[in-house]
Amino acid sequence: MAVELTAPAVPARRVSARHFVRLKLRVMGNNFRGQGWRIALFVAGALVGLWLAGTGFVVFATPGFADGGRYAPMVAAFGGGLLVLGWLLLPLVFFGVDETLDPARFALLPLPRRTLVTGLFAAALVSVPAVATLLALFGLVATAGALGGWSAALVQVVGILAGVLLCVAAARAVTSAFASMLRSRRVRDLAAVLLAVAAALLGPLQLVGISALQETDWDSLTGVSEVVGWTPFGAPWTAGIDVAEGRAWAAPIKLLITALALLALVGWWSRSLESAMVGAASTGGARAKSDPTGGAVSQLFPRAAGWARRDQFGALVAREARYWWRDARRRANLITIAVVGIFVPVLVNLGGAGFTMNSGQGFGQGSAEPSAGLVSLSMLFVGVVAAVTLANQFGFDGSAYAAHVVAGVRGQQELRARMTAFSIYVVPMLAVVSIVIAVVLDRPGWIGLTAGGLFASYGAGLAVNSFVSVLGAYALPETSNPFALNSGAGVAKSFLTMLAMLVTAVAAVPMVVAAALLGDVWHWLALPVGAAYGLGAALLGAYLAGDVLDRRQAELLAAVTPRR
Amino acid sequence: MTDEHPALSLRGLAKRFDGKVAVAGVDLDVPAGSFYGLLGPNGAGKTTTLSMAVGLLRPDAGQARVLGQDVWVDPVRAKQLLGVMPDGVRLFDRLSGAELLAYHGLLRGMDPAVVDQRTAELLDVLALTDAGRTLVVDYSAGMKKKIGLACALLHGPRLLVLDEPFEAVDPVSAALIRDILARYVASGGTVIFSSHVMEVVERLCSHVAILAEGAIKRVGTIDEVRGKRSLEDVFVEVVGGRTATGEELAWLSN
Repeated sequence: MAVELTAPAVPARRVSARHFVRLKLRVMGNNFRGQGWRIALFVAGALVGLWLAGTGFVVFATPGFADGGRYAPMVAAFGGGLLVLGWLLLPLVFFGVDETLDPARFALLPLPRRTLVTGLFAAALVSVPAVATLLALFGLVATAGALGGWSAALVQVVGILAGVLLCVAAARAVTSAFASMLRSRRVRDLAAVLLAVAAALLGPLQLVGISALQETDWDSLTGVSEVVGWTPFGAPWTAGIDVAEGRAWAAPIKLLITALALLALVGWWSRSLESAMVGAASTGGARAKSDPTGGAVSQLFPRAAGWARRDQFGALVAREARYWWRDARRRANLITIAVVGIFVPVLVNLGGAGFTMNSGQGFGQGSAEPSAGLVSLSMLFVGVVAAVTLANQFGFDGSAYAAHVVAGVRGQQELRARMTAFSIYVVPMLAVVSIVIAVVLDRPGWIGLTAGGLFASYGAGLAVNSFVSVLGAYALPETSNPFALNSGAGVAKSFLTMLAMLVTAVAAVPMVVAAALLGDVWHWLALPVGAAYGLGAALLGAYLAGDVLDRRQAELLAAVTPRR
Repeated sequence: MTDEHPALSLRGLAKRFDGKVAVAGVDLDVPAGSFYGLLGPNGAGKTTTLSMAVGLLRPDAGQARVLGQDVWVDPVRAKQLLGVMPDGVRLFDRLSGAELLAYHGLLRGMDPAVVDQRTAELLDVLALTDAGRTLVVDYSAGMKKKIGLACALLHGPRLLVLDEPFEAVDPVSAALIRDILARYVASGGTVIFSSHVMEVVERLCSHVAILAEGAIKRVGTIDEVRGKRSLEDVFVEVVGGRTATGEELAWLSN
């Protein structure tokens, strides 16, 4: 018994990044144990990643072998830049980050922050998206090699490795910083506004980009791509190509730019990580400003649900309505709907009109008419995105759903109430969207068309997602990070989401067909028909899925309860 | 009429998780009006058994009846008679205490006026009124237990099923909970709760069952189970624990 508890100052073995990677692999592996469908999902996700990687490889490699490499710097700068942008923004808006290794779990271990950050960073690299990105980027190595031989290829390898690190660090830093901001309630409101503004800026920028595409030929974009190449967005990707084109002096500088950006991001991440580890428990500002007024029942009902009767249905609606606002995870979803709802249709329709104009120039005077079919299609997309938020609505509640099981809430009642509460927020949003789109397109007469399409697809989406939420529910981790997903659930989530969106889109296609075929009559019929279609679909969905829910309450509870 | 039935009757309840037996056929009768303690070490299957008994977890085999109503065949009627406080289950914790109670009351189909009145009383008795509009998520562990108990009591159930009601509760709150439960049983209610705290069980319970490795090892009134010894001795013997000899972990004394 020679071991002493009053431990030696230096631990026997140093903890390295390798341990974190192995821990992550082990956690992933244990998650698969006895869960065939999870393995299947993971394999499917890996295959999709591989396919995307292959496509990306071709895109990045082609310029090396065509046109004597004239477009190589441009493809590298813009393509790579888009990748960084994607890693920066997509986790925020859509996918969340894989928190297999939750930083908070390491809070009690005597690990220096440097070890922790490098370890978590290394573990974050072990993921399908990161590997797929790396594979795709090897296309750039092929390009650099084809143009400049081995030396260029070698520099490019260093470049893309650093670039992938940059991508992953960007995703981590942004989500982590955003999450710790969202934790304090007061900042959450601010963050919502900021995110909306940021997205609002993205839209016009893209429009500017599109019009730039129309007005200038590709060669004049070389200047822009050169500038991008000197920012962290393009630097890692163009270093090897610079060598190939005889600017060997540029490569070290660009790699230095990348390294500095990487260091800054990791530093930022490590700072917000600290607050994620210690501050996870404090929510701050939980106490509302005013003292309770009135009885308990009237406290439960928010003003937005004040019309509801004081019975079981009303209580469900009131609680859900409160939760859509008070739960950071749910609120992040509402913000997403608002942002996507406004900008996707604007971009699609204005951009679409622009493209029509562009191709029309060859045939003389092109028409800039926005098409009714395209507008309906984009509205359908928004409705689908809005409704798909409910695809894992029971997962939001987690084990708290036990209260409904114990109280014996009927499935149809439950689903109808959830739809109603969600609609309290979403229907006004959709109404605003339809008006804004009609105004932006300068077609005020199309409000009926846009609103009808929206409500039809939203209603159909509610019905489809009722089924998905009952049959395909999965547990969300009980952390305060609204972007956190369970390992493996990321793939499951994307698949279920896609499936639900696809089925919803099919269910709402009649609206698009009608818009394309019926012409002017439809402008007047669209709103009543669409609203009725949506309402009918939602009620039918609640009716049918409610039956299923009645038989599956206990299984659903087990599915949404996080495994401890 | 329903008084002929035991308050809770379990027959052959069994559950496996991933091939591992968690509960291996539990038979149990909880007489109406009894204060029933379900004892067992960690991992004995207490939570699993109670979850199956109240309709939260579907058993692989067996039946659970509440005052004669089968929980899995006629869940709505059985659940009306039940008040449940599960352990390790979240509450709808982004509501304030008052909101949460109002929610539970309305879920149970109670009259809003009655809900208001009982909520105010329960919050007062459990000393939660001061929490005001603090969200339940920001409550301390003991306060969460108390509000959970209030949720289970609100609709005046005939049978209370409580999983670990005294865990993480400070002595003052524990005494309060004990008093409330004792009064509830005295006025005709039935309580079954799980615990591994011997003193509480010995002080409160009229009946005891000892559960270990997914099966009932001892059952009966508290006097029948403990005989002339202390409940703790019986428990350790039944569960088959070991006592430290002082030889192992010698480095701890350095």
